[in-house]
Amino acid sequence: MAKDIITAGIDVGSISAKAALLQHDRIVATHVILTGYNSQNAGRQVFDLVLQQAGLDAGKVAKIVATGYGRNSIAFAHKAVTEITCHAAGAYFLDRRVRTIIDIGGQDSKAIALDDSGKVKDFAMNDKCAAGTGRFLEVMARALEVDLDAFGAMSLTAGQAASISSLCTVFAESEVISLIARGEQRPNIIAGIHASIASRVVSMAKRVGVRAPVMMTGGVSKNIGVVKALEEKLGANLIVSDRAQVTGAIGAAIIAVGL
Amino acid sequence: MDHFQRFREISANPGRYAEEWKKKTGGKVVGHLCSYTPVELIVAAGALPFRILSSGAQIAQADGYLQAYCCGLVRGVLEDALAGRLAFLDGTVFPHTCDTIQRLSDIWRMNIGGFHADVILPVKLDTESAAEYMLAVLQRFKADLEAGLGVTLSEAALGEAIRICNRGRKGLERLYALRRKRPDAIAGSDLHAVFRAALVMDRAELADALEKLADMLESRAPQAAPPVKRLVLSGGLCSMPDIYQVVESSGGRVVWDDFCTGARYFEGLVDENGAPLAAIAQRYRQRVVCPAKHAGIHNRGQYLVDKVKSYQADGVIFLLLKFCDPHAFDYPYMKAMLDKENIPSMLFEIEDQISSEGQLRTRCEAFLEML
Repeated sequence: MAKDIITAGIDVGSISAKAALLQHDRIVATHVILTGYNSQNAGRQVFDLVLQQAGLDAGKVAKIVATGYGRNSIAFAHKAVTEITCHAAGAYFLDRRVRTIIDIGGQDSKAIALDDSGKVKDFAMNDKCAAGTGRFLEVMARALEVDLDAFGAMSLTAGQAASISSLCTVFAESEVISLIARGEQRPNIIAGIHASIASRVVSMAKRVGVRAPVMMTGGVSKNIGVVKALEEKLGANLIVSDRAQVTGAIGAAIIAVGL
Repeated sequence: MDHFQRFREISANPGRYAEEWKKKTGGKVVGHLCSYTPVELIVAAGALPFRILSSGAQIAQADGYLQAYCCGLVRGVLEDALAGRLAFLDGTVFPHTCDTIQRLSDIWRMNIGGFHADVILPVKLDTESAAEYMLAVLQRFKADLEAGLGVTLSEAALGEAIRICNRGRKGLERLYALRRKRPDAIAGSDLHAVFRAALVMDRAELADALEKLADMLESRAPQAAPPVKRLVLSGGLCSMPDIYQVVESSGGRVVWDDFCTGARYFEGLVDENGAPLAAIAQRYRQRVVCPAKHAGIHNRGQYLVDKVKSYQADGVIFLLLKFCDPHAFDYPYMKAMLDKENIPSMLFEIEDQISSEGQLRTRCEAFLEML
């Protein structure tokens, strides 16, 4: 298929829905909204908004690929592809050197190993459990009465990270509450939470084998505290694109070119 | 006519089948755990061997006896027994395999009752002394059955039971062979229903039904089928028929399994010409082992690699029951052997019943996209 066609990728995640438009190997526009209750509506809405942003008509889009946990509810997409394959395609597009991806989204976290041509070689995913996911951070932000967006910056001011021993979200929340009751400083608690997520995710990544360079994708990569904690546990720097949250949608749009 | 209907009915409610069989024949029903139970002896005793699997009901009473780190199979089975859902059993047989089943045997003896037998198999099955030991185990089990059920097991009855059980195994093997050749000839969920039923049905009735089914399926003209990814499943048992639908809707087909409720049950026939007990002992020594037994350091891994190659499979999915230590201990070396042969594999840890279908679907689809 000719490369000048316009394709779209729609990534409906558990917390946010993302869309990307691609033309000529160039990202035309991306958009992010909250998914809310109805994932089908969210997919339609984020698609309309990204078109509006690019000043394009839906008729101009040749192919659409849907991904994310809501991928099968997007009836207007030509194909549904899993977020694992899409994150791999997106990350490889953003940086061809990438060999390992750590993706932390709202409801799950994944480690993906890529071969030299950007194909998925192996992957691991968290079990049905919120530990090490964006949801875990949301629960903790509520317990600490801190805006989630402030988490990253605040954790960097920590003197000493508090120790959070439990990996379970529910138990970790009660640990956090005990720390608050003991008068522990907020930044220290948040740094401890980030360290706990990082050890969980890094041990999962080690199961697929970590080959540098490592890219972090997904919404949680906006949290600089988690990025730093991961880098410390990995002993390596992470590549974090400014398009990290929309990597899956970009990958979906790339796969759509080949349909 | 739907040839699978009867199997599906039995599979959906195995207990009802046993109750009806009892009413019809006046015979006794002997429950058992695990594929190491020598069912031929139970058949020769005129009883119905009934493989006990969990109904998947919510655990309410079993946790009073077992810790939460015991597998869902054993906790579920005990729950069913405590709740009276297995009241039709006249007795139960426990092969000594994993620790949890051994403990279940003790709890059962003290709390459930009925005829009770432990079949204390040797751990190493590949030695010369294991043959002798195994024979003594079977003689002891024979005596236990005779005393417990008030019957005498004649050589002739044992010989006949061996022939009947072999016929059933051959029937199952034919279905697997057909699936290998034409993965679309039989849906995974249908084969699962056949197998679930086969583990509790009257073995003579089963052998006839399987022969009829295999004749019918083999005679059907092959349909033009789209290319599919061929998969081998490996693990303890599959109590999750939904996996087949997930695999098939993602463009995969299961062409072989290494399950206790699958190939491990039917592979290898008992020699019909030898002395009956020695012949049964011999089959268990030759059959591929479950991880609770030993037959060489690489036995299970090599078996899996061989099956993948000879069945031209594209990949392997390990379905491991959460808290099943024997399988979890075997997994790393088996995965390493597959990696060495460049055979892709994926691990999925399951509860006894399907609990997280969305996650399973995403992983399965991603794995098939990767192949």
